[in-house]
Amino acid sequence: MPEEEGESLIHVAIEAEPLFDIGPLAFTNSMVGALITTAVLLLAAAYMTRRSSLVPGRMQSVLELPVELMSGIVSASSTRWRSYLALILAFFLVILISNWVGLLPGVGTIGITHLDASGHEAVIPIIRPASADLNFTLGLAIVAFVMFVYWGIKANGGGGYLKELMGEPLYMAPLMFPINLISEFSRLISLSMRLFGNVFAGEVLLATMLALVPLFIPAAFLGLELLFGFVQALVFALLAMTYIATAIAEHHSSGHDDHGEADAAHADHAPAAEAAHA
Amino acid sequence: MDSNLAVGLAMGLGAIGPGIGLGIAVSKAMEALGRNPEASGAIFVPYILGIALTEAIGIYALVISLLLIFVA
Repeated sequence: MPEEEGESLIHVAIEAEPLFDIGPLAFTNSMVGALITTAVLLLAAAYMTRRSSLVPGRMQSVLELPVELMSGIVSASSTRWRSYLALILAFFLVILISNWVGLLPGVGTIGITHLDASGHEAVIPIIRPASADLNFTLGLAIVAFVMFVYWGIKANGGGGYLKELMGEPLYMAPLMFPINLISEFSRLISLSMRLFGNVFAGEVLLATMLALVPLFIPAAFLGLELLFGFVQALVFALLAMTYIATAIAEHHSSGHDDHGEADAAHADHAPAAEAAHA
Repeated sequence: MDSNLAVGLAMGLGAIGPGIGLGIAVSKAMEALGRNPEASGAIFVPYILGIALTEAIGIYALVISLLLIFVA
Protein backbone atom coordinates (compact mmCIF):
# COMPACT_ATOMS: atom_id res chain seq x y z
CA MET A 1 0.00 0.00 0.00
CA PRO A 2 1.48 3.36 -0.94
CA GLU A 3 2.05 5.23 2.28
CA GLU A 4 3.02 8.88 2.23
CA GLU A 5 3.56 9.65 5.87
CA GLY A 6 3.01 8.01 9.22
CA GLU A 7 1.59 4.62 10.02
CA SER A 8 -1.29 3.37 7.96
CA LEU A 9 -4.53 2.84 9.86
CA ILE A 10 -4.76 -0.87 9.20
CA HIS A 11 -2.48 -3.67 8.16
CA VAL A 12 -3.43 -5.13 4.77
CA ALA A 13 -1.52 -7.95 3.16
CA ILE A 14 -2.83 -9.44 -0.05
CA GLU A 15 -0.85 -12.64 0.35
CA ALA A 16 -0.60 -14.88 3.39
CA GLU A 17 2.42 -14.05 5.48
CA PRO A 18 4.93 -16.69 6.58
CA LEU A 19 5.10 -17.35 10.30
CA PHE A 20 8.10 -19.70 10.26
CA ASP A 21 9.87 -21.97 7.84
CA ILE A 22 9.81 -25.74 7.70
CA GLY A 23 12.81 -26.51 5.55
CA PRO A 24 12.22 -24.85 2.17
CA LEU A 25 8.48 -24.40 2.85
CA ALA A 26 7.07 -21.35 4.56
CA PHE A 27 4.34 -21.99 7.09
CA THR A 28 1.90 -19.15 6.51
CA ASN A 29 -0.84 -17.79 8.73
CA SER A 30 -3.54 -18.91 6.31
CA MET A 31 -2.35 -22.49 6.88
CA VAL A 32 -3.25 -22.02 10.54
CA GLY A 33 -6.71 -20.99 9.41
CA ALA A 34 -6.94 -24.04 7.19
CA LEU A 35 -5.82 -26.29 10.06
CA ILE A 36 -8.51 -24.81 12.33
CA THR A 37 -11.09 -25.39 9.62
CA THR A 38 -10.00 -29.00 9.28
CA ALA A 39 -10.04 -29.49 13.04
CA VAL A 40 -13.58 -28.10 13.35
CA LEU A 41 -14.83 -30.31 10.54
CA LEU A 42 -13.09 -33.40 11.93
CA LEU A 43 -14.51 -32.77 15.40
CA ALA A 44 -17.99 -32.37 13.97
CA ALA A 45 -17.55 -35.55 11.93
CA ALA A 46 -16.27 -37.46 14.98
CA TYR A 47 -19.21 -36.21 17.04
CA MET A 48 -21.66 -37.22 14.34
CA THR A 49 -20.25 -40.72 13.88
CA ARG A 50 -19.98 -41.49 17.60
CA ARG A 51 -23.13 -40.04 19.01
CA SER A 52 -25.62 -39.76 16.20
CA SER A 53 -29.01 -41.24 16.86
CA LEU A 54 -32.07 -41.77 14.72
CA VAL A 55 -33.95 -39.09 16.61
CA PRO A 56 -31.56 -36.14 16.48
CA GLY A 57 -30.81 -34.18 19.60
CA ARG A 58 -30.27 -30.44 19.56
CA MET A 59 -26.55 -30.56 18.67
CA GLN A 60 -27.08 -33.19 16.02
CA SER A 61 -29.83 -31.26 14.27
CA VAL A 62 -27.63 -28.17 14.12
CA LEU A 63 -24.86 -30.23 12.51
CA GLU A 64 -27.32 -31.86 10.12
CA LEU A 65 -28.79 -28.55 9.01
CA PRO A 66 -26.19 -27.61 6.33
CA VAL A 67 -25.99 -31.21 5.11
CA GLU A 68 -29.74 -31.38 4.66
CA LEU A 69 -29.86 -28.00 2.94
CA MET A 70 -27.18 -28.95 0.42
CA SER A 71 -28.41 -32.45 -0.29
CA GLY A 72 -31.88 -31.03 -0.89
CA ILE A 73 -30.49 -28.67 -3.52
CA VAL A 74 -28.03 -31.13 -5.08
CA SER A 75 -30.60 -33.90 -5.40
CA ALA A 76 -32.69 -31.60 -7.62
CA SER A 77 -29.81 -30.84 -9.99
CA SER A 78 -29.62 -34.01 -12.09
CA THR A 79 -30.46 -37.69 -12.01
CA ARG A 80 -26.90 -38.73 -11.14
CA TRP A 81 -26.60 -36.42 -8.15
CA ARG A 82 -25.44 -39.15 -5.78
CA SER A 83 -22.07 -39.38 -7.52
CA TYR A 84 -21.08 -35.79 -6.81
CA LEU A 85 -23.07 -35.01 -3.66
CA ALA A 86 -20.07 -35.68 -1.41
CA LEU A 87 -17.83 -33.31 -3.36
CA ILE A 88 -20.34 -30.46 -3.33
CA LEU A 89 -21.03 -30.98 0.38
CA ALA A 90 -17.30 -30.93 1.12
CA PHE A 91 -16.88 -27.69 -0.84
CA PHE A 92 -19.75 -26.09 1.03
CA LEU A 93 -18.63 -27.14 4.52
CA VAL A 94 -14.94 -26.34 4.05
CA ILE A 95 -15.63 -22.90 2.61
CA LEU A 96 -18.33 -22.13 5.17
CA ILE A 97 -16.12 -22.97 8.13
CA SER A 98 -13.04 -21.27 6.74
CA ASN A 99 -15.05 -18.11 6.02
CA TRP A 100 -16.44 -18.07 9.53
CA VAL A 101 -13.04 -18.70 11.12
CA GLY A 102 -12.20 -15.17 9.99
CA LEU A 103 -14.98 -13.77 12.18
CA LEU A 104 -13.74 -15.30 15.43
CA PRO A 105 -12.36 -12.76 17.90
CA GLY A 106 -8.58 -12.53 17.73
CA VAL A 107 -8.28 -13.68 14.14
CA GLY A 108 -6.45 -11.00 12.19
CA THR A 109 -5.91 -8.87 15.28
CA ILE A 110 -3.59 -10.98 17.45
CA GLY A 111 -0.19 -11.44 15.88
CA ILE A 112 3.56 -11.37 16.25
CA THR A 113 5.47 -8.17 15.58
CA HIS A 114 8.47 -8.03 13.31
CA LEU A 115 10.35 -5.47 11.24
CA ASP A 116 9.29 -5.41 7.61
CA ALA A 117 11.50 -4.59 4.63
CA SER A 118 11.25 -0.82 5.10
CA GLY A 119 12.14 -1.03 8.78
CA HIS A 120 8.65 -0.35 10.08
CA GLU A 121 7.27 -2.49 12.85
CA ALA A 122 4.47 -4.63 11.44
CA VAL A 123 2.14 -7.16 12.98
CA ILE A 124 1.71 -10.53 11.32
CA PRO A 125 -1.63 -12.04 12.37
CA ILE A 126 -1.22 -15.58 13.63
CA ILE A 127 -4.49 -16.74 12.10
CA ARG A 128 -5.79 -15.75 8.70
CA PRO A 129 -8.95 -17.35 7.30
CA ALA A 130 -7.90 -19.86 4.67
CA SER A 131 -10.28 -18.54 2.04
CA ALA A 132 -8.65 -15.10 2.24
CA ASP A 133 -5.65 -16.73 0.53
CA LEU A 134 -5.72 -17.04 -3.24
CA ASN A 135 -3.76 -20.32 -3.10
CA PHE A 136 -6.56 -21.96 -1.13
CA THR A 137 -9.41 -20.74 -3.34
CA LEU A 138 -7.48 -21.54 -6.51
CA GLY A 139 -6.84 -25.02 -5.16
CA LEU A 140 -10.55 -25.54 -4.56
CA ALA A 141 -11.36 -24.16 -8.00
CA ILE A 142 -8.84 -26.53 -9.62
CA VAL A 143 -10.52 -29.46 -7.86
CA ALA A 144 -13.89 -28.28 -9.16
CA PHE A 145 -12.45 -27.75 -12.66
CA VAL A 146 -10.88 -31.22 -12.80
CA MET A 147 -14.13 -32.73 -11.57
CA PHE A 148 -16.42 -31.11 -14.12
CA VAL A 149 -14.03 -31.83 -17.01
CA TYR A 150 -13.77 -35.43 -15.73
CA TRP A 151 -17.55 -35.75 -15.58
CA GLY A 152 -17.92 -34.20 -19.01
CA ILE A 153 -15.50 -36.73 -20.50
CA LYS A 154 -16.98 -39.61 -18.55
CA ALA A 155 -20.55 -38.80 -19.59
CA ASN A 156 -19.96 -37.96 -23.25
CA GLY A 157 -16.62 -39.63 -24.02
CA GLY A 158 -13.47 -37.77 -25.03
CA GLY A 159 -14.76 -37.17 -28.54
CA GLY A 160 -18.13 -35.99 -27.29
CA TYR A 161 -16.46 -33.56 -24.93
CA LEU A 162 -14.33 -32.17 -27.76
CA LYS A 163 -17.40 -31.95 -30.00
CA GLU A 164 -19.13 -29.95 -27.29
CA LEU A 165 -16.21 -27.54 -27.20
CA MET A 166 -16.36 -27.23 -31.02
CA GLY A 167 -19.92 -25.95 -30.97
CA GLU A 168 -22.95 -26.92 -32.99
CA PRO A 169 -22.40 -25.97 -36.66
CA LEU A 170 -19.06 -27.62 -37.38
CA TYR A 171 -17.87 -24.94 -39.80
CA MET A 172 -17.90 -22.46 -36.90
CA ALA A 173 -15.50 -24.63 -34.91
CA PRO A 174 -12.33 -22.59 -35.62
CA LEU A 175 -14.08 -19.61 -34.06
CA MET A 176 -16.00 -21.38 -31.31
CA PHE A 177 -13.31 -23.75 -30.08
CA PRO A 178 -10.99 -21.05 -28.63
CA ILE A 179 -13.96 -19.17 -27.19
CA ASN A 180 -15.33 -22.27 -25.48
CA LEU A 181 -11.86 -23.21 -24.27
CA ILE A 182 -11.40 -19.75 -22.76
CA SER A 183 -14.83 -19.90 -21.16
CA GLU A 184 -13.95 -23.24 -19.56
CA PHE A 185 -10.81 -21.73 -18.07
CA SER A 186 -12.54 -18.50 -17.10
CA ARG A 187 -14.69 -20.59 -14.76
CA LEU A 188 -11.50 -21.50 -12.93
CA ILE A 189 -10.48 -17.86 -12.62
CA SER A 190 -13.90 -16.55 -11.64
CA LEU A 191 -14.58 -19.32 -9.10
CA SER A 192 -11.31 -18.66 -7.29
CA MET A 193 -11.33 -14.88 -7.64
CA ARG A 194 -14.92 -14.53 -6.45
CA LEU A 195 -14.33 -16.39 -3.22
CA PHE A 196 -10.96 -14.80 -2.56
CA GLY A 197 -12.17 -11.29 -3.39
CA ASN A 198 -15.23 -11.55 -1.20
CA VAL A 199 -13.52 -12.96 1.86
CA PHE A 200 -10.45 -10.75 1.54
CA ALA A 201 -12.59 -7.64 1.04
CA GLY A 202 -14.66 -8.70 4.05
CA GLU A 203 -11.54 -8.95 6.19
CA VAL A 204 -10.34 -5.53 5.06
CA LEU A 205 -13.80 -4.07 5.66
CA LEU A 206 -13.91 -5.45 9.20
CA ALA A 207 -10.39 -4.20 9.94
CA THR A 208 -11.23 -0.74 8.61
CA MET A 209 -14.42 -0.54 10.63
CA LEU A 210 -12.63 -1.67 13.78
CA ALA A 211 -9.99 0.99 13.25
CA LEU A 212 -12.49 3.78 12.53
CA VAL A 213 -15.21 3.05 15.10
CA PRO A 214 -14.05 0.58 17.74
CA LEU A 215 -17.43 0.12 19.41
CA PHE A 216 -20.84 -1.21 18.31
CA ILE A 217 -20.61 -0.38 14.57
CA PRO A 218 -18.29 -3.34 13.71
CA ALA A 219 -20.91 -5.68 15.18
CA ALA A 220 -23.27 -4.81 12.34
CA PHE A 221 -20.56 -5.60 9.80
CA LEU A 222 -19.73 -8.84 11.61
CA GLY A 223 -23.36 -9.87 11.13
CA LEU A 224 -23.13 -8.90 7.47
CA GLU A 225 -19.95 -10.94 7.04
CA LEU A 226 -21.62 -13.91 8.72
CA LEU A 227 -24.26 -13.76 5.99
CA PHE A 228 -21.72 -13.19 3.20
CA GLY A 229 -19.58 -16.10 4.37
CA PHE A 230 -22.61 -18.37 4.10
CA VAL A 231 -23.68 -16.97 0.73
CA GLN A 232 -20.20 -17.31 -0.77
CA ALA A 233 -19.90 -20.92 0.40
CA LEU A 234 -23.32 -21.60 -1.11
CA VAL A 235 -22.39 -19.83 -4.35
CA PHE A 236 -19.16 -21.78 -4.81
CA ALA A 237 -20.86 -25.11 -4.11
CA LEU A 238 -23.83 -24.30 -6.34
CA LEU A 239 -21.65 -23.15 -9.23
CA ALA A 240 -19.51 -26.28 -8.98
CA MET A 241 -22.71 -28.35 -8.88
CA THR A 242 -24.15 -26.56 -11.93
CA TYR A 243 -20.95 -27.01 -13.91
CA ILE A 244 -20.90 -30.73 -13.15
CA ALA A 245 -24.62 -31.09 -13.85
CA THR A 246 -24.28 -29.36 -17.23
CA ALA A 247 -21.23 -31.48 -18.05
CA ILE A 248 -23.26 -34.63 -17.33
CA ALA A 249 -26.32 -33.48 -19.26
CA GLU A 250 -26.55 -35.42 -22.53
CA HIS A 251 -27.82 -32.69 -24.81
CA HIS A 252 -26.62 -29.18 -25.11
CA SER A 253 -28.24 -26.26 -26.79
CA SER A 254 -26.31 -24.95 -29.79
CA GLY A 255 -23.04 -23.46 -28.68
CA HIS A 256 -23.42 -19.87 -29.81
CA ASP A 257 -23.60 -18.68 -26.25
CA ASP A 258 -20.06 -17.47 -25.87
CA HIS A 259 -20.24 -16.96 -22.12
CA GLY A 260 -19.87 -20.19 -20.23
CA GLU A 261 -21.24 -18.89 -16.98
CA ALA A 262 -24.40 -17.44 -18.47
CA ASP A 263 -24.88 -20.79 -20.16
CA ALA A 264 -24.54 -22.62 -16.85
CA ALA A 265 -26.91 -20.27 -15.06
CA HIS A 266 -29.60 -20.80 -17.67
CA ALA A 267 -29.12 -24.53 -17.71
CA ASP A 268 -29.89 -24.68 -14.04
CA HIS A 269 -33.41 -23.41 -14.46
CA ALA A 270 -34.65 -26.63 -15.94
CA PRO A 271 -33.76 -29.13 -13.17
CA ALA A 272 -34.84 -26.74 -10.41
CA ALA A 273 -38.20 -26.22 -12.12
CA GLU A 274 -38.62 -29.95 -12.50
CA ALA A 275 -37.98 -30.41 -8.82
CA ALA A 276 -40.68 -27.93 -7.97
CA HIS A 277 -43.24 -29.77 -10.11
CA ALA A 278 -42.32 -33.19 -8.81
CA MET B 1 3.55 5.40 -7.70
CA ASP B 2 0.46 7.53 -7.59
CA SER B 3 -2.28 5.12 -8.54
CA ASN B 4 -4.68 6.05 -5.75
CA LEU B 5 -6.99 7.91 -8.11
CA ALA B 6 -7.00 5.00 -10.54
CA VAL B 7 -7.80 2.60 -7.71
CA GLY B 8 -10.73 4.70 -6.55
CA LEU B 9 -12.04 5.13 -10.08
CA ALA B 10 -11.69 1.45 -10.93
CA MET B 11 -13.61 0.35 -7.87
CA GLY B 12 -16.20 3.12 -7.93
CA LEU B 13 -17.04 2.95 -11.62
CA GLY B 14 -16.81 -0.82 -11.55
CA ALA B 15 -19.39 -1.00 -8.78
CA ILE B 16 -22.05 0.89 -10.78
CA GLY B 17 -22.86 -1.90 -13.21
CA PRO B 18 -23.11 -4.77 -10.70
CA GLY B 19 -25.10 -2.48 -8.39
CA ILE B 20 -27.72 -1.84 -11.04
CA GLY B 21 -27.68 -5.49 -12.07
CA LEU B 22 -28.14 -6.74 -8.52
CA GLY B 23 -30.97 -4.29 -8.01
CA ILE B 24 -32.78 -5.57 -11.08
CA ALA B 25 -32.18 -9.22 -10.16
CA VAL B 26 -33.37 -8.84 -6.57
CA SER B 27 -36.40 -6.75 -7.49
CA LYS B 28 -37.49 -9.29 -10.11
CA ALA B 29 -37.00 -12.15 -7.67
CA MET B 30 -39.06 -10.36 -5.01
CA GLU B 31 -41.72 -9.61 -7.59
CA ALA B 32 -41.87 -13.25 -8.55
CA LEU B 33 -42.08 -14.26 -4.89
CA GLY B 34 -44.89 -11.80 -4.31
CA ARG B 35 -46.87 -13.15 -7.22
CA ASN B 36 -46.22 -16.78 -6.44
CA PRO B 37 -44.86 -17.46 -2.93
CA GLU B 38 -44.80 -21.23 -3.56
CA ALA B 39 -42.14 -20.77 -6.20
CA SER B 40 -39.51 -19.80 -3.61
CA GLY B 41 -37.84 -23.21 -3.80
CA ALA B 42 -37.61 -23.08 -7.58
CA ILE B 43 -36.37 -19.50 -7.62
CA PHE B 44 -33.72 -19.92 -4.92
CA VAL B 45 -30.90 -21.70 -6.77
CA PRO B 46 -31.09 -19.71 -10.04
CA TYR B 47 -31.40 -16.55 -7.96
CA ILE B 48 -28.26 -17.26 -5.95
CA LEU B 49 -26.37 -18.20 -9.11
CA GLY B 50 -27.57 -15.08 -10.89
CA ILE B 51 -26.53 -12.70 -8.16
CA ALA B 52 -23.20 -14.53 -7.86
CA LEU B 53 -22.48 -14.03 -11.54
CA THR B 54 -23.56 -10.40 -11.37
CA GLU B 55 -21.46 -9.80 -8.33
CA ALA B 56 -18.44 -11.40 -10.00
CA ILE B 57 -18.12 -8.30 -12.18
CA GLY B 58 -17.80 -6.15 -9.09
CA ILE B 59 -15.22 -8.59 -7.80
CA TYR B 60 -13.24 -8.17 -11.02
CA ALA B 61 -13.13 -4.43 -10.34
CA LEU B 62 -11.97 -5.19 -6.81
CA VAL B 63 -9.23 -7.48 -8.12
CA ILE B 64 -8.05 -4.82 -10.57
CA SER B 65 -7.88 -2.22 -7.84
CA LEU B 66 -6.06 -4.64 -5.52
CA LEU B 67 -3.59 -5.33 -8.33
CA LEU B 68 -3.12 -1.57 -8.79
CA ILE B 69 -2.45 -1.12 -5.09
CA PHE B 70 -0.16 -4.06 -4.45
CA VAL B 71 1.42 -5.01 -7.76
CA ALA B 72 1.56 -2.08 -10.17
